[in-house]
Amino acid sequence: MTEGQPGTWPAPSRGNDLAALLARVARGDQAAFAVVYDCAAAQVFGLVSRVVRDLAQSEEVTQEVMLDVWRTASRFDPDRGTAMVWLMTLAHRRAVDRVRSGQAAAARELRVAASETSYDVVVEEVESRLEAQRVRRCLGSLTELQRESVTLAYYGGYTYREVAGLLGVAVGTVKTRMRDGLIRLRDCLGTDQ
Amino acid sequence: MRLRRQVPHTLAGAYALDALTGRDRMRFERHLAGCDACRQEARSLREAAGRLAAVTAATPPPHVREQVLSEAARTRQRPPLTVDGRAASGAGRRAARLRAPRMAVAIVGGCMLVALVLGGLFIDTQHRLGQEQEHNRAIATVLNAPDAVMTSARAATGGTATVVMSHRDHALVLTTARLQALPSGKRYEVWLMGRHRIRAAGMLPQPREGMTAPVVVSGVAAGDMVSLTAEPAGGSRSPSSAPMLTIALPA
Repeated sequence: MTEGQPGTWPAPSRGNDLAALLARVARGDQAAFAVVYDCAAAQVFGLVSRVVRDLAQSEEVTQEVMLDVWRTASRFDPDRGTAMVWLMTLAHRRAVDRVRSGQAAAARELRVAASETSYDVVVEEVESRLEAQRVRRCLGSLTELQRESVTLAYYGGYTYREVAGLLGVAVGTVKTRMRDGLIRLRDCLGTDQ
Repeated sequence: MRLRRQVPHTLAGAYALDALTGRDRMRFERHLAGCDACRQEARSLREAAGRLAAVTAATPPPHVREQVLSEAARTRQRPPLTVDGRAASGAGRRAARLRAPRMAVAIVGGCMLVALVLGGLFIDTQHRLGQEQEHNRAIATVLNAPDAVMTSARAATGGTATVVMSHRDHALVLTTARLQALPSGKRYEVWLMGRHRIRAAGMLPQPREGMTAPVVVSGVAAGDMVSLTAEPAGGSRSPSSAPMLTIALPA
């Protein structure tokens, strides 16, 4: 992907490529799976390591997620959503499951500092950067409490009750801020074409 | 939207963020089962939440790829769901239910390239990295810094600039959206305004779709301000006009 392709992003057809690859993966096509890995690994690993923090565990969870993709590709239904959100849903779920298991939480506390810069971080692709820009800008349109509630839950892997504790506000307040924040984010991202 | 109970419905956001556990989640899923509109909202919020992953991309070490591919070759795949069937695994079930429509097509951009490769058209995927890699690494370092904070400001002439800054790295990443177009021969120049001096911090790239690619500014100190002025395309030694936008960096 080069800078020399203006106007091709975001192209709705792009999502279909990953979906088509998943259909091949569902039929046992290992070459297609390797391509899906190359497409999605940075997104998966980036999200997982943001939530889990610990490098070794992030690698493990990334492997689990990608193997989930291999095993359950037949369950992906392109009529009901795009392939990347299906993948990121698997990844986020796996990541929060990992940090919520007690042992992992302890290890995470101990090892978080050491792991901050220990892996090779590369933001992929011009398109991804533009999307990232857009997401950050839309996050910027949330109120502070909405943004903190959403990001602590998503990137931090905290439950809404934990988020309430971290922010020192009522549980009910956090609930509504998460919902209002995501609605605002959705509307900002959706109309920002 | 008709709601039987107000209380569970407000959990839609927390649910989409995977921030519900145990009984809270079960109660909410029961609620969803009986409410089409709620399922639709939950799906759209899941979609929004999924896009938050766009800012965290990081390449895993190469050995992960090898392990995943060799493990996959040894792992039996699940059959597709039959009509109204249910997936056996927790993850599969969840994913099947939560899939969102029209999702983040943007973040799969790279797949176009690799799909072409798979189709037989050879493209050297490493080629694109080269000199951009250092730049990307610098951006990623700031964005992934534990103390990264974001702030943005609106230009008097329209458009916004957003800064993500890390005190740890003494660096910031600047992006802009929909700034007023400048006459030809003029470009936006970035300035870092400290307490004692003003430093040129580079030219903004030409916008694409109204947005400029991230610019990294290093050597940033607490209390500095970032501003933009219109300058000759080659840049100026000092600002030749009043800033069109100024961002006070978070302390």
